[in-house]
Amino acid sequence: MNILSDWPILSIILATPLAGLLVVLLLPSRRNRWLHAAAIITTLIPLLLSCLLYSDFVNLQGVSGYEEQATWVEVPLNKETLEGVTSYKFIIQYAVGIDGLSLPLVILTALVTAMAAFASIHVKKRWKAFYAWFLLLEAGMLGVFLARDLFLFFISFELTIIAMYFLIGIWGYFNRERAANQFLIYNGIGSAVLLIAFIILVNTAGFRIEQSGNVLDFIYSGNYADLAKNMTDPTAWVNLTSEAMGGLNPFHMGDAMQWTLFVLLMVGFGIKLPIFPFHTWMLKVHTEAPPSIVMIHSGVLLKMGAYGMIRFGIYLFPEQAKAWAVVLAVLGLVNLLYGALIAFRQKDLKQVLAYSSISHMGIFLLGLAAFNEIGLQGAVFQLVSHGLISALLFLLVGSFYERTKTTELPLLGGLARSMPFMSGMLLAGGLAALGLPGLSGFIGELLSLLGLFESHPWLAGLALLGIILTAAYVLRSVLKVTFGPMDEQYAAAKDARLVEAVPMIVLLAVIILLGCYPSMLTDTLHYSYETLIHPILATRAGG
Amino acid sequence: MEFYTQSAWLIPIFPLAAFLLLIALGRSYRTTAMLLGSAGSLAAFVLSLLVLFERLGPDAVDYSIRSFKWIVIGDYTLRLGFEVTNLTSLMLVVITGVSLAVNVYSAGYMKNDERLTVFYGYVALFTFSMIGLVLADNILLLYIFWELVGVCSFLLIGFWYARPSARAAAKKAFIVTRIGDAGLLLAILLLFWYMPGHALDFTSIYNVFHEGQSGVMTSGITTFIALLILLGAIGKSGQFPLHVWLPDAMEGPTPISALIHAATMVAAGVFLLARTFDIVSASEAAMQTTAYIGGFTAIFAATIALAQNDIKRILAYSTVSQLGYMVMAIGLGSVSGGIFHLFTHAFFKALLFLGAGSIIHAVHTQDIREMGGLGAKMKTTAWTFAIGALALSGIPPFSGFWSKDAILTTALDENPVLFVVGLAAAFCTALYMSRLFFLVFAGKPRSGHAAVKESAAVMTIPMIILAALSVVAGFIETPWNGWLSGWLSGSEAVETVHGGSSIAAMVASIGVGALGIYLGWLFFVKKSIGSGFMAAKLPSLLRAVERGYYIDEWYRVIIVKPLRGLGSTLAVFDEYVIGGTVRMTGALTTAAGRFAARLSNGKVQTYGLAALIGCIVLIAVIVGRRFWS
Amino acid sequence: MLPSYLTMAAILFCIGLYGALVKRNAVVVLLSVELMLNAVNLNLIVFSKYGVAPSLTGQVFSLFTITVAAAEAAVGVAILIALFRAKGTVNVDEYDEMRR
Repeated sequence: MNILSDWPILSIILATPLAGLLVVLLLPSRRNRWLHAAAIITTLIPLLLSCLLYSDFVNLQGVSGYEEQATWVEVPLNKETLEGVTSYKFIIQYAVGIDGLSLPLVILTALVTAMAAFASIHVKKRWKAFYAWFLLLEAGMLGVFLARDLFLFFISFELTIIAMYFLIGIWGYFNRERAANQFLIYNGIGSAVLLIAFIILVNTAGFRIEQSGNVLDFIYSGNYADLAKNMTDPTAWVNLTSEAMGGLNPFHMGDAMQWTLFVLLMVGFGIKLPIFPFHTWMLKVHTEAPPSIVMIHSGVLLKMGAYGMIRFGIYLFPEQAKAWAVVLAVLGLVNLLYGALIAFRQKDLKQVLAYSSISHMGIFLLGLAAFNEIGLQGAVFQLVSHGLISALLFLLVGSFYERTKTTELPLLGGLARSMPFMSGMLLAGGLAALGLPGLSGFIGELLSLLGLFESHPWLAGLALLGIILTAAYVLRSVLKVTFGPMDEQYAAAKDARLVEAVPMIVLLAVIILLGCYPSMLTDTLHYSYETLIHPILATRAGG
Repeated sequence: MEFYTQSAWLIPIFPLAAFLLLIALGRSYRTTAMLLGSAGSLAAFVLSLLVLFERLGPDAVDYSIRSFKWIVIGDYTLRLGFEVTNLTSLMLVVITGVSLAVNVYSAGYMKNDERLTVFYGYVALFTFSMIGLVLADNILLLYIFWELVGVCSFLLIGFWYARPSARAAAKKAFIVTRIGDAGLLLAILLLFWYMPGHALDFTSIYNVFHEGQSGVMTSGITTFIALLILLGAIGKSGQFPLHVWLPDAMEGPTPISALIHAATMVAAGVFLLARTFDIVSASEAAMQTTAYIGGFTAIFAATIALAQNDIKRILAYSTVSQLGYMVMAIGLGSVSGGIFHLFTHAFFKALLFLGAGSIIHAVHTQDIREMGGLGAKMKTTAWTFAIGALALSGIPPFSGFWSKDAILTTALDENPVLFVVGLAAAFCTALYMSRLFFLVFAGKPRSGHAAVKESAAVMTIPMIILAALSVVAGFIETPWNGWLSGWLSGSEAVETVHGGSSIAAMVASIGVGALGIYLGWLFFVKKSIGSGFMAAKLPSLLRAVERGYYIDEWYRVIIVKPLRGLGSTLAVFDEYVIGGTVRMTGALTTAAGRFAARLSNGKVQTYGLAALIGCIVLIAVIVGRRFWS
Repeated sequence: MLPSYLTMAAILFCIGLYGALVKRNAVVVLLSVELMLNAVNLNLIVFSKYGVAPSLTGQVFSLFTITVAAAEAAVGVAILIALFRAKGTVNVDEYDEMRR
């Protein structure tokens, strides 16, 4: 029996954290170790399953589309506009699926969450609630990447915001409540914008027509496949229903409406990414949230914005995206240089890394704006790679903070003497962040720039400045922490414990693996050529 | 049939395995680490030698494997592979040979360092990367290893991480070379989109640029690419204006200065230019630029070396100057001259650094004014150092003479201005080397080094071997025997046609070398001219030269400060303008809330008024709608 | 005929509305409310006489309105007296019970 084809594997992945959540709720709240172990085991299962899924996906070269669907809510509609339609229905679906774009991100989510679960030893109070929210957060993230329906997507998206709000607000550092509030409000605005866009989408493009004999069902839903079909092929239904409807096209979306939706989606996901100038909330989160949560936040949550941008922005509105490619490229360049220049002057290591995230998301935008296959590959690679690198770096920052009680650069120095392992890891992570070949960061940068170079060579040339600046700020902060004379008060600090070292080593190993053998990731995306890459190339050719 | 050449991919595997083992072992296995590191480079050296011998045969053809598909994206494929040519096999021997010498030497020099294992690990990683760089069959793979050697150099410069100066030097080395690297990367991006079939391997590049497929690229693009490659070489090989990192890199342990910052990595820029010579030579402007940058660097760095007092900084500026010679040779079209000088320079400069290390190990200072009279106490060091110094100064029959002469002859044929520049630099070289040698080894001890004694055999034996090589290495190419250039270009040994110009260059070169040494002897041994002569006459000039013409300070003012200022300005902008806008939005919302709260004052009449206004608005909207659309 | 009656009713209504919203004396406010109701009555009667489909319904309806207005006035004055007893004033500015 094949576990992958016979079982609803995606739903199992999605449900595991929720089951783990139940287990955690049933465990006694004082048993920190039990709770920790339960969380680790729960997060390892989706990781294992998604790796199995990956090997299957690669073996079959992506032909096996994993999709699972069920109807959740069904509402009959009282609407009569078209002749010959038997009934109008509105359904909310539970639909999950993966392709070459979401699979890497699912694995990234599972991996970073599992590592964060390992690293959650910094939690000193209310363990039960922490792990409950933690697992809920994972369920939300997995839901975002697995969802093939706007409703499931949006619910999962909101779930992550709520879980994050409590995780920051209760277990964060000194200014945690303020940071949590700002996070909630900013992301709430982003979600509101998205919700508007989604509602319009469901009402206009989110329909399909089911015909059996004379019975013609007109079904509204948030199904992604329907949306994509209607948006990319607006005349799809004309011929199919010609007898019943007399050649009327039931779908029409004006130019102005398309643009409105595109901009709404870009802004909504841009806040999450974050795109300059919507980035200020992220700085606070990165400073105030507890280490394992920052790992997840910068490793996965930022990528949800990027994922949405590709999935909904680029694929549903390719014409608009192409017209805006230059804008995206300029925004990416601004992100890249702006983040790098400010990171160069920050005095707090966490702030340096926060601005570095902004800078690295600029590279993602550049790859996206290239609007060719290499650029898209680079953008996705940059997502995964930055997810791993920033998870590693923030994990290290958290561990250093636990020992030094500060992340102010002027107060740190020479930690390589007392903590050689962690310092080496920090150096390796920094080198990965500045794009050293052999580590994954380089591939993302190389492919993004290679792609961008075909479309906008001058912008790519300018982006190279960012690479020099990145080297400058990364080395400045990393060397300040690890090299130099050591302050005596840090002499007795212990190096990483096993439970910290395991995630560090695993993350670095994956970073090196991807850096040396990038086909692992690029092939995955390429296997979904028809759905993921062909549309982009077609738009290029058409325009 | 060519068994060893086909297994050349094994060469980098040895040091890589050594590196991985060393990292896995941890700090406690010190002796094992030394043996392991040395064994790795010994194996690599032996195999490199075998490859070289195989290629010395008459019918050696270039061997390459480029089967590994690294990244496949649609129609584009980035391949990786290795290629063995005569040039690479020569470089392999140089790299693994010097690496082996340094590995053995470090067993003595570093024996008391607590991070010995880490040191050997880094050296093994460096050796691996450098071999990979040389073996790479395409420019992208070369770039990957190019960055890796850069990072090894960075790690080893900052090896004594507790010193703030080492930290600063490591950072500077990485960032300055990164500027050149960005240029090289841009060149690769350009090549990728302009080359037919997006091929990046050297064979395709050769075909495109050599067989006159001039329609592929406009000459403007070719020049641009060539200049960008040159930028990469400038960064790595410490050419003006990106030379500033190399003298500072002397913060690293001295064996590292010998291995990385004298013999191998800094020569990677020259190697790159030689490897992509087809591109560079396709553009006259790029060739001119290369030649002039090289020539200028040669004389520029040589004058700075005259005024330095740190033994390692003298040697560092000397390296910059000699690399300038090599770059100039390539710019003048003589790849074999550049590679020949690279070959000989690797041996005698590594020797000089190892000698300097031996001295520093003995007297625990790097300031040559505090040394003196060491010749009597450190006989082996003195003799080997003298051979290195004579080779560097271009005195026959030592190797440096032949290679420098090859370059000067080309210069005399191609560009008399650069010939004069080269001669002047050769004069300065002889002068500063004699100053260095006489101050350190001749005369009386200037401060009490009672316990000075010769270094251990583990350190002197590598020096002796390198000294022997410094003597004989030059004979592979002499004006009467053009074996090397023939071998490198893959044709039969060509009879040299220089004739008269060769003899003229030789005479002039011997003349300035001897003059330099004689002047040095006058200054520092006979003291017939006081050593304070320059300081008295032109103090500001002397200080300017000593500080390297204030290039660092210029960079600080022109680049670093404005960038910092821009960063700070943007940080303020971010905090107050963007953050302020966000805060203002929040404040406005709160204010609106307050205003609305004041409306509910509990008076029925106010509520009534609000209801009235609402009604009016509603009516206006309903009525107004029919006029709107 | 119809426009002039309607204008008359509108003027009456506005006067009443003005009084109800602006006057301080609670008795005057109550009177103003009566005025508005009567403006409505006027409208009902006018429409029943001169409207598109004249019928008695409007006049009957106005009788109802008058009755309700009387009841409303009674209740209103009763509340007013109760308030006056509690507060000792008829100034509506002092009546901010809804705030608490």
